[in-house]
Amino acid sequence: MRLHLLALLAKEPAHGYELKQALEQTFGAAYPSPNIGQIYVTLARLEKDGLVRAVDVEQSNRPNKKVYYLTATGREALTTWVEEPTEGPRVRDEFYMKLVLAPLTGIADRMALISRQRRHYLGLMRELNEVMERSESTVARLLVEGAMLHLQADLDWLERCQEELC
Amino acid sequence: MSTARAATRWISADLRARKGQAALTVLAVAGILAALLTGATLLEEGTNPWRSLFGQTNGAHIWIHTTERPDVWRLRELDGVATSAGPYRSAPVTLVQDGKRPQAALRGLPAQLPEVARPQVQEGRWLSSEQPDGAVVERSFARASGLRLGAPLTLNTVGGSRQVLYVRGIADSAEQGFYPEWTPGLIWVLPSTLDRIEPKHELSEWVTGLRLADADATQVVSQRVLVELRQVERVYTWREVRAAMELDNRLLGTLLALFGVVGLVAAALALANAAGGRVLGQLRDLATLKSLGFTRGQVALLLVAEHGALGLLGIGIGLAAGWVLPVVLLGAGAAAPLPVLAIGAGAALVVLAAVGLPAWRGGRTPPIPAAPAAPPRGHLSRLARLALLVRLPPALVLGTRDAFTRRVPAFLTAFGLAVPMMMITIGLGVWATLDGFLKNPEQVGQSAALIVKTGKLTQGQAEELIAREPGVERSYPGSTVNALAPGEARSVQVRAIGGSREPYPYPVAEGRGYSQPGEGVAGQGLLDLLGVKIGDRVRLTVGGSPLIVRIVGRVVEPDLDGQVLSVGLDTLEAKDSVPPGYHALVLKPGADPGEVRLRLLSASQEGLDVQRVVNPAERLGVLRPVIAALIAVLALIGLANLLTAIGLGLRDHASDLAVLKAMGLTPRQVTATLVTATGLLVVAGVLTGTAVGAATVTGLIDLQGHTSGVGAGIGRPPAAATLVVTVLAAVSAALAVALIPARRAARAHVTTARLTHGVPSGRS
Amino acid sequence: MLKAHNLVKIYAASGVPVHAVRGLDLEIEAGEFVAIMGPSGSGKSTLIHMLGGLDPRTSGEIWLDGKRVDTLSESGWALLRRKKVGFVFQGFNLVANMTVADNVELPALLAGTSPREARERREQLLDKLSLSDRAEASPGQLSGGEQQRVALARALANRPALLLADEPTGNLDSRNTRDVLRLLGEVHRGGQTIVMVTHDARVAALADRVVSLLDGEIVDDGRIPRRKIAGAGEVIDLR
Repeated sequence: MRLHLLALLAKEPAHGYELKQALEQTFGAAYPSPNIGQIYVTLARLEKDGLVRAVDVEQSNRPNKKVYYLTATGREALTTWVEEPTEGPRVRDEFYMKLVLAPLTGIADRMALISRQRRHYLGLMRELNEVMERSESTVARLLVEGAMLHLQADLDWLERCQEELC
Repeated sequence: MSTARAATRWISADLRARKGQAALTVLAVAGILAALLTGATLLEEGTNPWRSLFGQTNGAHIWIHTTERPDVWRLRELDGVATSAGPYRSAPVTLVQDGKRPQAALRGLPAQLPEVARPQVQEGRWLSSEQPDGAVVERSFARASGLRLGAPLTLNTVGGSRQVLYVRGIADSAEQGFYPEWTPGLIWVLPSTLDRIEPKHELSEWVTGLRLADADATQVVSQRVLVELRQVERVYTWREVRAAMELDNRLLGTLLALFGVVGLVAAALALANAAGGRVLGQLRDLATLKSLGFTRGQVALLLVAEHGALGLLGIGIGLAAGWVLPVVLLGAGAAAPLPVLAIGAGAALVVLAAVGLPAWRGGRTPPIPAAPAAPPRGHLSRLARLALLVRLPPALVLGTRDAFTRRVPAFLTAFGLAVPMMMITIGLGVWATLDGFLKNPEQVGQSAALIVKTGKLTQGQAEELIAREPGVERSYPGSTVNALAPGEARSVQVRAIGGSREPYPYPVAEGRGYSQPGEGVAGQGLLDLLGVKIGDRVRLTVGGSPLIVRIVGRVVEPDLDGQVLSVGLDTLEAKDSVPPGYHALVLKPGADPGEVRLRLLSASQEGLDVQRVVNPAERLGVLRPVIAALIAVLALIGLANLLTAIGLGLRDHASDLAVLKAMGLTPRQVTATLVTATGLLVVAGVLTGTAVGAATVTGLIDLQGHTSGVGAGIGRPPAAATLVVTVLAAVSAALAVALIPARRAARAHVTTARLTHGVPSGRS
Repeated sequence: MLKAHNLVKIYAASGVPVHAVRGLDLEIEAGEFVAIMGPSGSGKSTLIHMLGGLDPRTSGEIWLDGKRVDTLSESGWALLRRKKVGFVFQGFNLVANMTVADNVELPALLAGTSPREARERREQLLDKLSLSDRAEASPGQLSGGEQQRVALARALANRPALLLADEPTGNLDSRNTRDVLRLLGEVHRGGQTIVMVTHDARVAALADRVVSLLDGEIVDDGRIPRRKIAGAGEVIDLR
């Protein structure tokens, strides 16, 4: 979450609660709702690493709050993150291992494994469909769609396994 | 019911999508039918003008000539009589005209044209009291006597007085037959004029016409008239008038029947091709309809309804046009309703039969739409390899390959052109046969151009005059007698002409001509009637004495349905053959029959009776525009067929074209490819059609000739030059037509071509 | 509702018999939504064509609504489809000469619906598939995705008790797929039975049951697990 917060701070300085709101607003249902405590812990670590700088602001009737600014080092770290290519997800190696090894043990045959896995994926897909129905913002829908496409690829790969191995 | 609603939607959508083609189909059918009907009407007009004349003049069925003025009211009260004409006073006169003295009847009619038996004025105007010296002459009489509008008419009355009238009008009438077959000629004048010219009533007669409610009641009514009236000189009916006007039209009927067959086959072909091509192109859609719940029968019915409706619409328009056209263009009477209805019904049956097969085929489409036609096999046809071998440009090679890889469109293209082309060739053959009649009448049994009867002269005088005439090649004395055939209630005609040693130049189609007494030649009709063949002996009875003739040959015989036996004059007994009834004159090549006739007439001082032989082809001239129209319609049908086939081919072709373009063929090359592909098929179709047509035309006309009694041997194939020109014209017209869709396809964008045909469905 | 017993299809193309479906048993309850999946050539399309009577079976039985239908004549099948079955083809198979509106109304008219009702139903369906403005277009003017949606609308025009579909979303982009998914969900909830051949996991995931074919045989037939989820976080792991 470190770099996500840095990115938000690059836009404008903010305090912890504002950051939580900004995350929720931008990603909507697509983003697992962040815990405020987790945000403060992350900010503290970032401050320690010199990536952000905290400034106390006095408030009447309330305790002081900390507004965080992005430092030059922080901006540099952010730039590096944005510029470096992102690794994509790869084949779930766990199912792959099961598929290759299980028949050897005699516990299950491959066809059964694949079929069960397919139904599981379809179950997941159904959930994604439901999430998609509930997503309002474009970015959120894009996230779900990305997940769906990955899932579709997984299913297609299952089909290939079935054709080749069974 | 619900199906009807869904089907209606489909049909209207389909027709909307191919308006042009549908219109072309309707026009083709309508055109053929109109041409056929017009042809039939014109033929009827030419050979049997009585019907329309009778209709136009509101003619009378019975004509009564009496010495005294009859009581017309008593006649009108007779059972079956509707109205009457006259009585008109009529006086015999003689026309004085450069040497000739034709007999005429001067008939007094009022200035107000009568309701019944109203002369139909063709030129000039009817009688008027302002012109008391005016006369209206019956048309055939006017023509035979050379009378024009305004010409003076010099008349000699029986009493010997000479009067001069002027021709104010020329009119048609159904009162009597044509002059000179029916004499005397007819001249109408005002009653006052008649009284002036022939004041003596005892020298004139009274003529009354009766119009009956039922034309078949003439027999009964004429007998009643004879009972009612005294001093009846003569009674005759419309039947006699009609018989006098009729021309023996078996030969013409023969040719028209041939047209009819040609036309109907062509119409059927046009429809079958349009429907068949459309159905082939629509198999996918038809399959879809079935998947939606149309049964096999419903799909077939729907197709019959759609294409049949086009055909029937065409028939309707054709019937209407065929009815109206002769009236409007030629002023002829409308066609008789019965044959029109018969032709219409026949055409409707043909239409439904032609549409039935493709509809049945469409109904049998399986409900899973077939995958788009399998891609053509990749290997080059032999022809294409040959094209490669001689280093033709790529477009030509591809076109050559394309031409034969897709069988169905290839067949449709070639066949769709071959059949109209065959029909056109047959039409040209009929034309050539007509030409043959006109140019070489001797080939149809009309060697003699003039028939001379001795008239007032003696045999010797007549023969001497004929011998002195330089235009005459040869003269054959002849006699015509009736003979009774054994076992036949009717008589046949025996024509004795020339000597057995010097026979009349008959066109012998089979066997040989007669060369000695006791031999004879016959027309096909006679052979069929008596059930004899060449080499057989026939025994006939002429005037009570037997006549035994061995038939040694068959001749082309256009008269009397071919039921004529021709022998040498010396075969007949002397009592029948001496003196000969007439002389048949064969003229020298280049001699004009009209001039020879005039010379003979003036040399004999009108003593000889000289008649020209009417060539059947002369009255057949009216059929030529019909042949031309038929050929034009056939050409249209061929082009329509071609468009159908090209459309079908292009539909299958769309994806190939995209590939070709992607490979770098320019639009021009794509066009060249498509035109080459079509062109090869066009040439194949046109050549096949012409060859088959030329091979069958003589046989077809002869077959028709055979059945009509004329006999085989009249058919002529079209000239080679005509055929070559026709083939070239057909091929270039077809290529020009092929160019249009080819260019459009070549310019179309690749993507649109793919989209409209969807993604091919595969089996997974 | 729909039952197949020992269903076999052998194609005899070019002399060599090809076993497309080998002895297949399948029972589908009324109101059920069944997805048929499997690699190409596994016999999916053949199966669904046979179930709709579009392709005659080689042997075996098909029962629809308690009546044996595999013995029906071609016309008998046609009448049955008219009343009970909607079919979506892989290649859409829209009637090329008819407008989109006419294409969609055709089955309803064929089943005896009045023209007015047919029009209302058509307007409803096209509206749900965001095609209202294309009603008067001809199929040739539509994109693949649009044609596919029209084909679906046509299959549903009659409110058939049984909807058979062969890859009904092959050409759709994600936005249009959403329309289709929504409509299918609605149809399913309305109690119509759906049997659908599909590769698209999004569509298959709507089904109650998934049947996997391989080489003309069923290799898996089971329900898709269902659990209640609260948010995206439970489904998507964002790293």
